[in-house]
Amino acid sequence: MRDRLGYVVLVATIAAYLVVYSSSLGRLPTSFDYLSILNTMLPLVFVAIGQSLVVLTGGIDLSVGGIVSLCVAVTATIVTGDGLAPFGWVLVVLVLGAACGAVNGVIVSAGRIAPILTTLATLSIFTGLALWVLPVPGGSIPPVVRNVLSNPNVPTGLIWLGVAIGGWLVLRRTRFGMRVYAVGSDETSARAVGVPAARVKLGVYALSGLCSGLAAVFYVSTTTAGDANAGAPFILTSIASVVVGGVAFSGGRGSALGAVAGAVALTLVIDVLFFAGIDPLYQSLFQGLFLVVAVLLGTVATLVTRRRRAVT
Amino acid sequence: MNGEILRRFDTITPGARRVLYAYAVAASVLLLGAVLNPGFASWTSLRAVLVVAAFTGFVAAGQMLVVLVGGIDLSIPWVLNGAAIVLTTTSLGQSVRLPYALALALGVGALAGFANGMGVAWLGVPAVVMTLGMNGVLQGLSLGLSKGLTCASCGSYAPQPLRDLFVGGVAGVPAALLVWIGVALLMTVLLTLTTFGRRVYAVGVNSRAAFLSGVGVRGVTVALYTLSGVFAALAGIMLVGYGGQPSLGLGDPYLFESIAAVVVGGVSILGGRGHYLGVVAGSLTLVAVTTFLQAQRVPEYGRLMIYGLVILVILFAYGRDKSHD
Repeated sequence: MRDRLGYVVLVATIAAYLVVYSSSLGRLPTSFDYLSILNTMLPLVFVAIGQSLVVLTGGIDLSVGGIVSLCVAVTATIVTGDGLAPFGWVLVVLVLGAACGAVNGVIVSAGRIAPILTTLATLSIFTGLALWVLPVPGGSIPPVVRNVLSNPNVPTGLIWLGVAIGGWLVLRRTRFGMRVYAVGSDETSARAVGVPAARVKLGVYALSGLCSGLAAVFYVSTTTAGDANAGAPFILTSIASVVVGGVAFSGGRGSALGAVAGAVALTLVIDVLFFAGIDPLYQSLFQGLFLVVAVLLGTVATLVTRRRRAVT
Repeated sequence: MNGEILRRFDTITPGARRVLYAYAVAASVLLLGAVLNPGFASWTSLRAVLVVAAFTGFVAAGQMLVVLVGGIDLSIPWVLNGAAIVLTTTSLGQSVRLPYALALALGVGALAGFANGMGVAWLGVPAVVMTLGMNGVLQGLSLGLSKGLTCASCGSYAPQPLRDLFVGGVAGVPAALLVWIGVALLMTVLLTLTTFGRRVYAVGVNSRAAFLSGVGVRGVTVALYTLSGVFAALAGIMLVGYGGQPSLGLGDPYLFESIAAVVVGGVSILGGRGHYLGVVAGSLTLVAVTTFLQAQRVPEYGRLMIYGLVILVILFAYGRDKSHD
């Protein structure tokens, strides 16, 4: 049940969105609404996938905020030109994101420093680098990149969402995917049966960095400008997505798909509040309640199923 | 002679050794600062470092208590900010209202902390989720009820006695520093000399074993989160006494800084190990680094990078987990 928490919450949020939207505007959402939601949510979806991989190994990545900021700054600065050149630069940004993540991975696995502390320190370093690259908000992105990534008229974002989900479905069936769960469930046992836990951790942090890089590219593509503080909100929202998505903080339980559902739900909640006519100042109150209630529902559901199992 | 000192050093418990490391780091940062910039060692400059470190120290006291039982408090920023706003909007700058306003502000902190503790201990919500949610709830309430700090009473200042106390000080000693000494005494006595303190460490080392030996694990947890809320509110009150008026986002820098101060102070993030005296040194170290870099006119990006690197170096020195092999 807990594994499906994210989907239950997502369905409930979509229902609430449709009800609130249609009662407020007297019609159903149009394709324009769906498209703008899709493009707004993509960065968080990517960060949440990366965060969920790290949480699955029992860690946490606070530096996603710094990596997103750095990659946003770099994207807005270096991705220029036309034809295929800008896509080459996008690849460079993705490599940079993965490299930043790998630094976390090395410190966590070889340096044996707790993930929350490692990424707390690197968060500061990456944010500093972002400010160095782009001291004031600005920069731009070539229209050709925008058309391919988050086209305002055609749902190209769906393709990338599909690629991300497909990537996860493949990854979890690979040896690496199995090992992620093994390390998260019980690291000592995993080591005992020969799982190279250090390399697995290095891998998940690098992948989380890659996901943050992707998020940054989509962020710049949607907002058409860069800001060295763009990443900060993603720290807490990515953790919230992972939690709502039913991934256990102790590691080893849950899936990145749940985190995707959590991220979509969290993005939709803002629209629900908007169309329900709630003062935007109260927005974080309801987001906070949403987070706690969603997790409480998961706990209650687990208790109920366990009791039912005990009876039968 | 030298061997004697080394032998003595070996007999110190690992916990006390971590506190010593923390002070060694704080001392070397201050010393390095004094060598590189002679003005840094002046009393005015040191006094400023101590006062700013006191605010970090209050917040870190609460954070440390929950970290000791393996928890974490992410609700600190808006507990702090909310308490600061409550203080000025209920006191309206009038001295007669100060006692009620103080009680109310501390009450808000205690209530938020209590709710966190209940959520974590009784409802089984993970600490990260509960306190993150609470942070959002308090942010929404603070913003919404004060209409984004534009309400009629939001322009009021902290009452004059409070401001005199924190800007002027008592007999030349900054009041924030006196309160900090009080907090340090209280924390040390509470954690090392009382049965409650023993229970806290017992829960932190192994909560199941503590439960089986008769420790009320849930009660202890709720008490610690409540205290954390009170300390965050205290920091909010003093910041507003120091600065005169609250601002939105007043507490945001203290979220990660409190965690960093706790860990640099030698407290294990996994719980069960650490002393508040170490956290005092941790707060001093972090604030000294920032103040020194500001005095050297290092731009913000450089400050952020050096700050992160300093934390990493300290973690490498004494914050590593045990090896698996």
